Amino acid sequence: MKEGFRQAMAWLHTWAGLIFGWLLFAIFLTGTLAYFKDEISHWMQPEVPARSLSSEASLALAQHYLEQHAAGASRWLIDLPDAREPGLSVRWQQAPAKPGTRGQFTEKRLDPQTGAEVQGRDTRGGEFFYRFHFQLQMPYPWGRWLSTIAAMVMFVALISGIITHKKIFKDFFTFRPRKGQRSWLDGHNAVGVLVLPFHLMITYSSLVIFMSMVMPASILAAYNGDVEAFYDEVFPASNTPDMAGKPGQLAPLAPLLERASELWSGGRTGSLTVNNSGDANASVILARDGADRVVHDFGSAVTFNGVTGQLLSATPKQAMPMVIAGSFYGLHMGHFAGPVLRWLYFMCGLAGTAMIGTGLVIWLGKRQLKHAKSGVMPFELRLVEVLNIASLSGLMVAVAVFFWANRLLPVAMAGRADWEVNSFFIVWGLSVLHAVVRRGRAAWVEQLALTALLFCALPLLNALTTPYHLGVTLMQGDWAMAGFDLTCLGSGLFFAWTAWKMQRAGQAGIATRPRAKPMLLEQEAH
Amino acid sequence: MFLALLLCYGGFTALCLSMDRHHAELLGRKPSARRRQAMKLSGWLLLALSLWAAVSSTGWGLGLVEWFAVLMLSALLLVWLMTYRPRLALALAGLSLLASPVAVFAKG
Amino acid sequence: MKGKITALPVSYRLAVTSRVLAAVLGGYLVAALASVSLTMWLPLARGEAVVTGMMTSFLVYLVAVLWCFACRSAWQAWFGLIVPSVVLAAVSGLAYWMGH
Repeated sequence: MKEGFRQAMAWLHTWAGLIFGWLLFAIFLTGTLAYFKDEISHWMQPEVPARSLSSEASLALAQHYLEQHAAGASRWLIDLPDAREPGLSVRWQQAPAKPGTRGQFTEKRLDPQTGAEVQGRDTRGGEFFYRFHFQLQMPYPWGRWLSTIAAMVMFVALISGIITHKKIFKDFFTFRPRKGQRSWLDGHNAVGVLVLPFHLMITYSSLVIFMSMVMPASILAAYNGDVEAFYDEVFPASNTPDMAGKPGQLAPLAPLLERASELWSGGRTGSLTVNNSGDANASVILARDGADRVVHDFGSAVTFNGVTGQLLSATPKQAMPMVIAGSFYGLHMGHFAGPVLRWLYFMCGLAGTAMIGTGLVIWLGKRQLKHAKSGVMPFELRLVEVLNIASLSGLMVAVAVFFWANRLLPVAMAGRADWEVNSFFIVWGLSVLHAVVRRGRAAWVEQLALTALLFCALPLLNALTTPYHLGVTLMQGDWAMAGFDLTCLGSGLFFAWTAWKMQRAGQAGIATRPRAKPMLLEQEAH
Repeated sequence: MFLALLLCYGGFTALCLSMDRHHAELLGRKPSARRRQAMKLSGWLLLALSLWAAVSSTGWGLGLVEWFAVLMLSALLLVWLMTYRPRLALALAGLSLLASPVAVFAKG
Repeated sequence: MKGKITALPVSYRLAVTSRVLAAVLGGYLVAALASVSLTMWLPLARGEAVVTGMMTSFLVYLVAVLWCFACRSAWQAWFGLIVPSVVLAAVSGLAYWMGH
């Protein structure tokens, strides 16, 4: 640490990157997948028809359904169909037994044409990846805390990496292949520097998203500990009147869409929340569809009295700090992104994932070289190696198995959604064991090859288990389904290539070291 | 977005060629001082034009996002092509510069 | 990293641990105090000031962390955080006292 600023930053970058790299890789990979969560969900519930009518018609059907099935619920939530998510879903929440806890939630998918319940197979779908990348399958709120801490470490790693990269401008366009560790470092720098705007945005925005939770000091100071007052000011739409205790007839909701659209100068409604539907003080909150602008407008909800139709609160103009916070939120989520931009988001996410992955490989590779002569890896390096293999290739096997489970588990099976998730984690755990049992390169090759096999075969499995295979979906123009199958195929081919490269590199290692000790040869030959 | 992509790619190629090492890799010899300056200037100019192209069609909000996306994509594309298909990399740069005026007219 | 892991002296490990603690805990303190100071002093509406303070705090946290590893000793790391903390606490306290 006495060696100078750049070297201190290099030390910090190296160790922060290692300790949190495994977690950050998982966060980045699942977060990247989450950009296509609607499409993934569609593939995982192929039975649900992807057709929609007008928002008004869908809303009328939803209201009718909820009045029949959820009359006593304290809250209804209606998600209207949009371009990427053509389904109509309704949720309702019973009032919680204890205030402050979350009430019982029920969710149903409705056919937008008939309003009848649709039964797709029970699955988390793409939502699993979305939720995992910030909740980490941990109980509330610990997962969010950990992922936000990881985001702060990511931020430190990014900035220390930039500081350390002495030739950031000179080497901007540099990539030298086939030079071993040098190539890995060039690759790490390339996906890091060339995609830097995205990495900085996604990292800082993830801090901003949970800032109220992790940095509440200023809220407590300015509002004298009254956190609710802060939320009421910043999110005025959450300010809804309490129950009157008198019954009231909920007016038709569909005309409210037009009124909200006027207030938003033509904007669309994305979802509605109805509070206390049978009460005289029933309130209807219309939230704007995120897809028509970049800046997420926290205050953009419009609230009406559900019985009289009276406007309770309208869209206040956003102040600059809220616009900035909303921009971070909107940029991170990417709701506004059309198909081309969404693919670009996806590619940038993959670049970030690759940046972390290459970093982990480099960390180990550099130190492995030092111990290559002795032939024995010290425990610490072996631990890093196992963790590298399990969190990189092991995670990808788990993702593939998640999709396989979706097609293999019986549709009528109880708790199949949970079992899809369980199979993800079981396989991930098995990959750790596999990495422990099998020596270094063999573990890599086997896990990558398995991933390749599973992904390449997924479209085939789809064809064998459902009538929605590539032949059908390409003809019908169901791009979500077809795109998923094709992307799996492409990914599978990529993993096959990496497995092949890994194996060849191992064999080359034997060939180029003719005077290696027998112990070393034995290690390589595994 | 397409016009912005063309201009970005061309701009980055010019900036790349303004560097001794890459100029030598791609064109066989080191650039003269004048060539270096010309490449630097035209590179930055093309990038600025690409920003204009992105923002003029979709406004500042979405336009800036698209510009950054296109910036990153074209940089990745250039580095990848330069490494494995250097002649294609240069050819594409030339093509994109030729196609840019056409794309401007197509936008209307 | 020079030498094998087992050869590093305990004093080095203690120094590193100290810097890490300073960065994680001390850094958070400085960042939180900075956000409070900003919130109290910015001539904005209350909600806006709070949002601005929170958003900026992470930059302060970053600088604090970088400082803890860039400075010459673990003692300097702590000192370099304690001084700003005291100043920021005083600044916030002043705003609070003035506002009431």
